[in-house]
Amino acid sequence: MFKHLSKLVFCFLLMQYSYGQQTFPRNGAYDERAGRYAFTNATIIVNPQQTIQNGTLLIEGGVIKAIGPKVAIPQGTVVVDLQGKFLYPSLIDLDSDYGLPAVQMPARSRGRQTPQLESNKKGAFGWNQAIQPEIDASLQFVPSQQQAESLRKLGFGTALIHAHDGIVRGSGALVTLADLPATKVLLQEKASAHFSFSKGSSTQTYPSSVMGATALLRQTYYDAQWYEKSQRDEGDNLSLKAFNQIKKLPSFFETTDKYSLLRADKLGDEFGIQYIIKGSGDEYQRLEEIKNTGATLLLPVDFPSAYDLTDPWDSEMVSLAQLKHWELAPKNLAYVAEAGIPFALTMQGLKQKSDFWKNLRLAIDQGLSKSVALEALTVQPAKLIGAEKSLGTLEKGKIASFLVTSSDLFESGTIIYENWIQGQRYILTPTDLADIRGTYNLVIDNQPSGKLKIGGKAEQPNYSITTLDSSKITPKVQLKNELLTLSFKHGKDQSVRLTGWKDAKGFVGEGLTADGKTITWSAPLVSAFEAEAPKDTTKPATTPTGAIWYPLAGYGNLEVPQAQDVLIQNTTVWTNEKEGILEETDVLVRGGKIAKVGKGLQVASGVKVINGKGKHLTSGIIDEHSHIALFSVNEGGQSSSAEVRMSDVVNPDDVNIYRQLSGGVTASQLLHGSANAIGGQSAMIKLKWGGGLKDLLLPQVKSIKFALGENVKQSNWGDVQRYRFPQTRMGVEQVYFDHFIRAKEYAQQWDAYNKLSKKDGVVAPRRDLELDALAEILADERAITCHSYVQSEINMLMHVADSLNFRVNTFTHILEGYKLADKMADRKIGGSTFADWWAYKMEVKEAIPYNAALMYHEGVTVAINSDDAEMARRLNQEAAKTVLYGGVPQEEAWKMVTLNPAKLLHLDDRMGSVKVGKDADLVLWNDHPLSIYARPDFTMIEGAFYFDRKLDEAKQAEMDTERARITQKMMADKDQGKATQKPQMVKPKMWHCEDLDEAAE
Amino acid sequence: MKYQAKIWATCHLMIASWLFTGAWAQNPAPGITQKGATTLVGGTIHVGDGTVIEKGAITFENGKITYIGNATGAKKGEQIDVSGKQIYPGIISLNTSVGLKEVASVRATLDYYEVGDLNPHIRALVAYNTDSEIIPTLRSNGILLSQAVPEGGIISGSSALFYSDGWNWEDAVLRKDDGVWLSWPSYASTAIHTQDQSELTKRNERRQGVVDLLKQTFSEAKAYAELKAPMPVNLRLEAMKPVLKGESNLYIRADLAKDIIEAVKFAQSYGIKRIVIAGGNQSYKITEFLRENDVAVIVNPTHRLPGHPDEPVYLPYALPGKLHQAGVKVAITYAGEWWRTRNLAFLAGTAAGFSDMSSEEALQLITKNAAEIAGVSQRVGTLGVGKDASLLVSTGDLLDMRGNGIEMAFIRGAKVNLDDKQKRLYEKYQEKYKAK
Repeated sequence: MFKHLSKLVFCFLLMQYSYGQQTFPRNGAYDERAGRYAFTNATIIVNPQQTIQNGTLLIEGGVIKAIGPKVAIPQGTVVVDLQGKFLYPSLIDLDSDYGLPAVQMPARSRGRQTPQLESNKKGAFGWNQAIQPEIDASLQFVPSQQQAESLRKLGFGTALIHAHDGIVRGSGALVTLADLPATKVLLQEKASAHFSFSKGSSTQTYPSSVMGATALLRQTYYDAQWYEKSQRDEGDNLSLKAFNQIKKLPSFFETTDKYSLLRADKLGDEFGIQYIIKGSGDEYQRLEEIKNTGATLLLPVDFPSAYDLTDPWDSEMVSLAQLKHWELAPKNLAYVAEAGIPFALTMQGLKQKSDFWKNLRLAIDQGLSKSVALEALTVQPAKLIGAEKSLGTLEKGKIASFLVTSSDLFESGTIIYENWIQGQRYILTPTDLADIRGTYNLVIDNQPSGKLKIGGKAEQPNYSITTLDSSKITPKVQLKNELLTLSFKHGKDQSVRLTGWKDAKGFVGEGLTADGKTITWSAPLVSAFEAEAPKDTTKPATTPTGAIWYPLAGYGNLEVPQAQDVLIQNTTVWTNEKEGILEETDVLVRGGKIAKVGKGLQVASGVKVINGKGKHLTSGIIDEHSHIALFSVNEGGQSSSAEVRMSDVVNPDDVNIYRQLSGGVTASQLLHGSANAIGGQSAMIKLKWGGGLKDLLLPQVKSIKFALGENVKQSNWGDVQRYRFPQTRMGVEQVYFDHFIRAKEYAQQWDAYNKLSKKDGVVAPRRDLELDALAEILADERAITCHSYVQSEINMLMHVADSLNFRVNTFTHILEGYKLADKMADRKIGGSTFADWWAYKMEVKEAIPYNAALMYHEGVTVAINSDDAEMARRLNQEAAKTVLYGGVPQEEAWKMVTLNPAKLLHLDDRMGSVKVGKDADLVLWNDHPLSIYARPDFTMIEGAFYFDRKLDEAKQAEMDTERARITQKMMADKDQGKATQKPQMVKPKMWHCEDLDEAAE
Repeated sequence: MKYQAKIWATCHLMIASWLFTGAWAQNPAPGITQKGATTLVGGTIHVGDGTVIEKGAITFENGKITYIGNATGAKKGEQIDVSGKQIYPGIISLNTSVGLKEVASVRATLDYYEVGDLNPHIRALVAYNTDSEIIPTLRSNGILLSQAVPEGGIISGSSALFYSDGWNWEDAVLRKDDGVWLSWPSYASTAIHTQDQSELTKRNERRQGVVDLLKQTFSEAKAYAELKAPMPVNLRLEAMKPVLKGESNLYIRADLAKDIIEAVKFAQSYGIKRIVIAGGNQSYKITEFLRENDVAVIVNPTHRLPGHPDEPVYLPYALPGKLHQAGVKVAITYAGEWWRTRNLAFLAGTAAGFSDMSSEEALQLITKNAAEIAGVSQRVGTLGVGKDASLLVSTGDLLDMRGNGIEMAFIRGAKVNLDDKQKRLYEKYQEKYKAK
């Protein structure tokens, strides 16, 4: 895969006798050495599958020359006897920032600063500051012995480094952690390409959201493809040029949670790129989907520490999701391995680097096999970076980077004595010390002075002195190069300092008393060291961990609900069809669909029967305007963001999905916010709580959010926001004209191109994701939902649409729809409104609760929506208000939250009414559904029960049990002195239309 | 072209209808003071204390109720047949910003949030705008009394209680300066993450400093209250006197159970008798404490999401019922909101639907209990002889959108004009479409 890396190995072979830098001048005599060492009698772990007992490793000039049970040792070799010791390949970290300058993050305040529409990076670069493919880590790399030492201590020998900043982060460099000149430790420049969804230190306004970052990266791939073929048009764009170079390299994508991991993979799929994805440690929560990506992962070993729950009031600040993740996070690696997902490990993310081994051993305790762990630190990373020919195992010809350890690397208590990198020796714990443990008689200045006891480990002894009066002293000790130095308080609280050396009987030496008198001392051995009977090393039986819930949070499911065959009997059925409201009627659900509606339906076996007497069965509520279950809502960086897709930022774990099910909602259109005239592409979901992204999304709904009014012209954002065009309703009209005329021209260009019989030599037009979406509107393939308040601007958009020959599908909010309902009806534009909101800003001063009724009477298809996670769970009440205000017939009022939104979303062929063949998205209400007293008995989607009142109670009880169990476990952790953190909870933002994201992730 | 012609037609119509309704561009005039007697005959009377009188009659004279009971007995004054309809006491909406807020995004229309930490002397009374376009939309839905409350700071100021009708605040006020509002520093603090705007909740490290400041202020206010002629005069401490003397309420905003207990103990330590908790999200955990200490709770709007991801999904809806059934005096409100308070009856309806409380009990939470908490129960809150004739006639169940249809409302016996701006716009555009 990597030709230049095998070349590299070859270079090493050539280099063996010329280890210095040939081009560099010297100050003094040459000091080149052969570096020939033989390590004998070692247990050599060649790779995770192969171990050589009593083997020999021969290295020379930083390269492995030979390895095996029997190796001929040439003359002139330093022989190191490793009897009883182990040799491992040294470890590789692929997500390092070793030797790179720290990223300077700009101070960002919340959303209310003057926008910076252009990049601050001047020069022949691309337009966006967060896209910096031209960054080359090898050019920024400066070896740092301090940093290197901290990594070497843990056993690492090689690191792939890159600048952790921005969406496109440029190329990485493979370096070793040896203390050699930079030219020697740099193994490979431009070894890898790096990406993320975070704009990092970029101060440019766009992208201001995750979906914006996603769209920007997508567009960059298209731009680079186009640039490759038509550079003349763009001139020399160094960023796109560099992008085309690095996109062929092994590509690493940093993500922040399981859903951004899946998003990254999906993005790669669009361009035939399989990213190596840096995960975040929550992969176990969506194993199946992650496995299906086919990606190799780069996983952290940082786990949350327990919360200090001593104070019961404090503990309320922690959610069950946090408690469960604390318990399951150390099992993540075992789960991932068990699922057969390949991965490498990284230290990145650890707050304390020294926790690396502690955490890794905890993961092993929790089921991660040692060989997989070793593979993930050696073979796998070497392979991922295409350096398997030079790194990762102990084989002839590879770089001599290896560890000398006291025993199995993954056992607790194992000591790493030495970390050899490129044939350079780094001693972590000396091995050449004699075992001096034992009990000695301490004689100072010829006076018996007590007993010196040396115990502990031979490599790391501990010392104690018992004086004649039986008091115990722990002296300060240095043991270096055969000299033992002790200092301690001796008699009358005076300090005595002794230095000695080993003789036949024990120790002898000289010292100084507190008053400066020189004395002699000795310590003849009395009894040899006897190891204490080992403590019971059988590990305490690991207490069982809780099950994975879907999602891993309160109200999560043990298993995702499955479709059942159900017969609901003798109930009042609101069909929303010409049959109207049917009394005493049965509805049969089979295979997720409504199979029969009628009286006295037969009960077949295997069908769950529900008595609906006195109750009301309706189709599920559909919320035309929602912002739940989203990681982000507004890409407000530009006045058009048609390129962004809300489907990129859907969060299936949002508890509001469950809460809305409890209010009878079964589907929601997740809209972009209203920060700009042309917003982003909507995502339509069914509220399949516990399901994954694919379960939730309905990709056939293609719509886009537009917006008018005060938000678009930034009236209420403070005086710093008087910069972005447009600032008036006059400007908004021109935004539409400008963009749609461009889209029309764009579509024509593509049309002309596609019609060419011979495309040879003709460069395809640049693919523009923003204009793609607008062209889809012009082709009537994408529906507009437009946030709107006052009549002037509504009228304006209708005229723009008329003149450019496109259609507005829905005006949402449309609080002055009543003023031009006739015009909307003429154009068959729907109105999706609030029941009674007003008075929150100037443009809703003339909003009236009779709006829905007036629009309804004029023949507009009217929906009542929420735009709010709270209101959404009682949309039945909001629909009832149209009866109060303007006297809409009850059946028609009910359609405003069911059938009518289905029509506006073009989903009425499968949703919105109780009709044979439609999806069984049903709610059984205990009362008239428009009644203030009504509540759902159950909410079903496609035949599966996603909410059920009895089940809800059972879940609450189970949550209490689970919380109590994990709390006890955490408190035990605290009692054992383990690190704890203060209780705290992070709740994701509840989005509304007007909320602005300041930065992506 | 087709549309252009229509627009012209529409414009002409609009001008015509605007001229027609021009006389109504302002809020309607307040009702005319009642002279003589009026009797509502034949309706179902919901007294407000749980009693229901079928086919009843209610007579009021010169603004006061003089008879309530069986329809057969009453024949005094003007007779209005309300057979088949429902008679209720006017709804009392506590803890609002009605009259102090008009358009949320326009600073010039906002008068509810003063600067400064300790502002007991700030009075909602004088800023209450009887000409607010919001107010008529409230009485259309049965809100006949609103408590305007200042916000901001640690001690926000003093509230006052207003009828939804009147030429000016002096006319409209039922009770001046009914209590001082204190925001208890919460045990938990929340911070918004600047990047993903997530909300971080953790222990409030600055809390003790605020509690210490309050201790000092209340101690000094108590000492000050002992002086007959204090010198120098301190407006802030002066304003605390009625609270310390038990003449008006100390309203404490607190949500967490721990905060509520601490705040109540704090107030009691200064001898304060009339303590009301506003907020009370976790009050269901300490009902015994609240009952024993005779502390009432004005709950936050119950149309809200659970405060914690693990909280039961219906807990906010069920909360008033839980408190009521545990014997705690509770009122339902829209805390700090203004236009939304017109939905107060529906909050009560939801509270009944999602707990074991009856709708008649839920009604008390927006009438009788609210009046008792605000110290005006001798005048309003229930229908009884000697009380203000502040009542309404609804086509059906007041608490349900399907029944709530306010046909008549009386404030101190005066018949209220139920017109409002929104109805006028409704009528105006009905004209437009009829003319088509």
